[in-house]
Amino acid sequence: MAETMPGYYGRLLDVNLSTGTIVKTTLDPQWLQDYIGGRGLGAKILYERLKNPGTEAFSPENILLFMPGPFSGLPLPSSSRTCVVTKSPRTSPKSGSYHGASTISYSNIGGFFGPELRFAGYDGLAITGRSDKPVYLYIKDETVEIRDASEYWGLGTDALETRLIADLGSDGFRSCYIGPAAEKMVPLASVLNTAARAAGRGGTGAVMGSKRLKAICVSGSGIPNVADPVKFNELLETVRSSFAQDTPSRRWWREGGTTNALEESSAGGTMAVKNYSEGSFGEVSRIGTAAARKEIWKRDFACYCCFLACKKSGMAKGAYGGVVHDGPEYETGSMLGSNLLIADLAGLNRCIAVADDLGLDIISAGNIIGFLMEAYDKKLIDRDFLDGIDLTWGNVEAVLAMLRKMGANEGVGIRANQGVRSLAREIGQGSEAFAIHVKGHELAGWNVHKAVDWFGISYSTANRGACHMNGGAPGPQNQSALRDSLGICSFVDEWYVNDSAFEKILTAITGREWSGASLELAGERIYNLEKMFNYREGFRREDDCLPERFFSEAGKQGPAAGIKVDRARFEQMLDDYYIARGWDLKTSKPGPEKLAALGITDF
Amino acid sequence: MESGEGLQSRRDFLRKLGLGAGFLIAGGQFGFTWFFDEKEGKLKAIVVDFSKCTGCRTCETVCAGFHAPRAAGSSVAAPVNPYQARIRVHHFNPDADVPQVCAHCADAPCIEACPVDPDPVTGRKALYRDPVTGSPVNDTDACIGCRSCARACKELRTGTIRPNPVTRMPEGICDLCGGEPRCVQVCPFGALQLADAGDAGHLAGLSPEKIAQVLMETYYSPQ
Ligand code: SF4
Ligand code: SF4
Ligand code: SF4
Repeated sequence: MAETMPGYYGRLLDVNLSTGTIVKTTLDPQWLQDYIGGRGLGAKILYERLKNPGTEAFSPENILLFMPGPFSGLPLPSSSRTCVVTKSPRTSPKSGSYHGASTISYSNIGGFFGPELRFAGYDGLAITGRSDKPVYLYIKDETVEIRDASEYWGLGTDALETRLIADLGSDGFRSCYIGPAAEKMVPLASVLNTAARAAGRGGTGAVMGSKRLKAICVSGSGIPNVADPVKFNELLETVRSSFAQDTPSRRWWREGGTTNALEESSAGGTMAVKNYSEGSFGEVSRIGTAAARKEIWKRDFACYCCFLACKKSGMAKGAYGGVVHDGPEYETGSMLGSNLLIADLAGLNRCIAVADDLGLDIISAGNIIGFLMEAYDKKLIDRDFLDGIDLTWGNVEAVLAMLRKMGANEGVGIRANQGVRSLAREIGQGSEAFAIHVKGHELAGWNVHKAVDWFGISYSTANRGACHMNGGAPGPQNQSALRDSLGICSFVDEWYVNDSAFEKILTAITGREWSGASLELAGERIYNLEKMFNYREGFRREDDCLPERFFSEAGKQGPAAGIKVDRARFEQMLDDYYIARGWDLKTSKPGPEKLAALGITDF
Repeated sequence: MESGEGLQSRRDFLRKLGLGAGFLIAGGQFGFTWFFDEKEGKLKAIVVDFSKCTGCRTCETVCAGFHAPRAAGSSVAAPVNPYQARIRVHHFNPDADVPQVCAHCADAPCIEACPVDPDPVTGRKALYRDPVTGSPVNDTDACIGCRSCARACKELRTGTIRPNPVTRMPEGICDLCGGEPRCVQVCPFGALQLADAGDAGHLAGLSPEKIAQVLMETYYSPQ
């Protein structure tokens, strides 16, 4: 085996569920150097192994990758993340010649799973093939077994989590799994752990379901080797002591986390409200931090080695009470709350719990239900279309009924599960204008009218289809690709600066000299490789677009009232973006100079 | 079970574990009394404030790091696996996280259970109480690897003793870092304290499963 870079094992666990083959593949050290780990290394593996454009996302050939990064598992604060990378079942280009063409998909999940995979001795896990019966993957260090999961099949994620703890213990194994929706290959199904933390976006769970893989349970007794333990410990002390300061920013995270953003975003006019027709929600305080603290939250929970603990769990009172769940946080609170005009906090919390239990991407689910509410309100569809559900704005019971239809993939749920683009094609009558997606992937809880500079670019250019975490300019986009590759949380940049910057830590871990500039270049390389994957599949500039609503309609309330996005200005922004990226203005393809500078070989 | 209806209520959960609300009162004190150590006064232990613990496992990493072997000539240990810690955070669903750590029980059932005859000079069995920290300490020369201590601790108290898979000798007992507990210093949420062992009250010495029961009962009540 080639010399492995410190900080890594240089091993990918390769599992083929069709043949039952389990191989521990040596990773090319150059790949680790160039693509770092996590999202970047996942993109590289997918790019090299899925060379035929148009491979169907649900085919056995598709690869489902669980990718922690070089920070994952080391005791660095918030080093908890894993990126789930695969070929998306959600997206497709407007034109193009491959039936199964879709973008890359990557979705980030916190908790304790990624660190555990590294403890077990792997820098990543690649699943291919399709089992003919339900299975789960059991990994205990070198022991890897494909086990029968017929007893787990059909369980909601909440019951499954409890069951796995009972079967495998409360202190050893960490698991990722799917809910009933993914078993039925509902395209918007997510991967979860701890029954609430989700790699929600981009249909990662659906791909897992297509492979009939219910869960992955890992326990590991090792830890990666670090090149310079003395320096590493010094940096660890520095970053821990900066996290130990009680700053306003730390308080913001601990007190409410992203839930605080519900009221802030509404006040700024940037919230998804009533299917993105408005940017502010008059009743937002009913679902905000203070209300949730008072009525639901009991406890704050942290991911691995995190000092912020932004997950808040509790139990609501009243008719919708009685179940324990976390949230609302910003995305779940906006997409199933303000976007549907739901201000009943307990009802909202129940909707979130049910969607997580079924294993649905709450962002897409809330977006789709918002679209159907609007179509129903405008009488473009009737109650029969909705299997009798009276899907009016703010109707918690109707939303619960829709979620159940979607999770079971039956009746109207089957159509809804294909996403808003497909629904709009079916319904017609101008409904395309308010189908809020890019490339087939629904937008998240941030509205665009008043924030086109950031979110217009973030959503339109994101490599997985509409994505709010993508960043509104090349620099931040590269930075977010980098974070997702290191295995560190998106919310902790401000604590990893100066003496404890990412490049200093990665240098101590790997023993290779990293600078801010070389890390930024790696982020850019990762972003461009994903783009090349999409280009190979047939995605072009016409696919980097925004929903019609933002150009032609303005809201009536709050700071976004009266504001539309100017189409010419948006196209100009896109031009500027491509120029800054070194991409072709017509096709959006990364130019030969850019590819050469990044060391990416054209296909 | 219909999809989406699998969410457990608190009652279901308690029923599955065969425990009801009366558990707290009935099971609280085990009928033993805390007493003073002859030499040192009250026994000390790491006491968890469960209302503050977030389950982050920072304590595990700090404890494991502190006790890890150093390379020759180095004062710093390379990172080690957190399971080598003497404190271990258990996770349950519905959400409850329980750090499991030696309670430094006054009656030390682990030492009681040790079948090795006391040394005629020191009076120590293969597991004996450290005179300074009050922690059970293993004399690896005398230990026969019978795992009686681990069994006693698991059946009666926290279950913190993990026999080494190869030597079978007891590991995982908190030694208070010799008196200056590192986990207490680093816990990001101030959830750990060095306190009189009895301060943990009715949760002192309970297993993680039982503590989780009580926590769920406390946090997640629809009233
Ligand atoms: S470090 Fe503190 S908050 Fe974190 S798990 Fe340990 S006791 Fe709980
Ligand atoms: S918790 Fe276990 S190991 Fe600690 S003193 Fe009690 S019985 Fe002994
Ligand atoms: S006091 Fe020291 S030995 Fe005991 S749990 Fe804390 S860090 Fe570990």
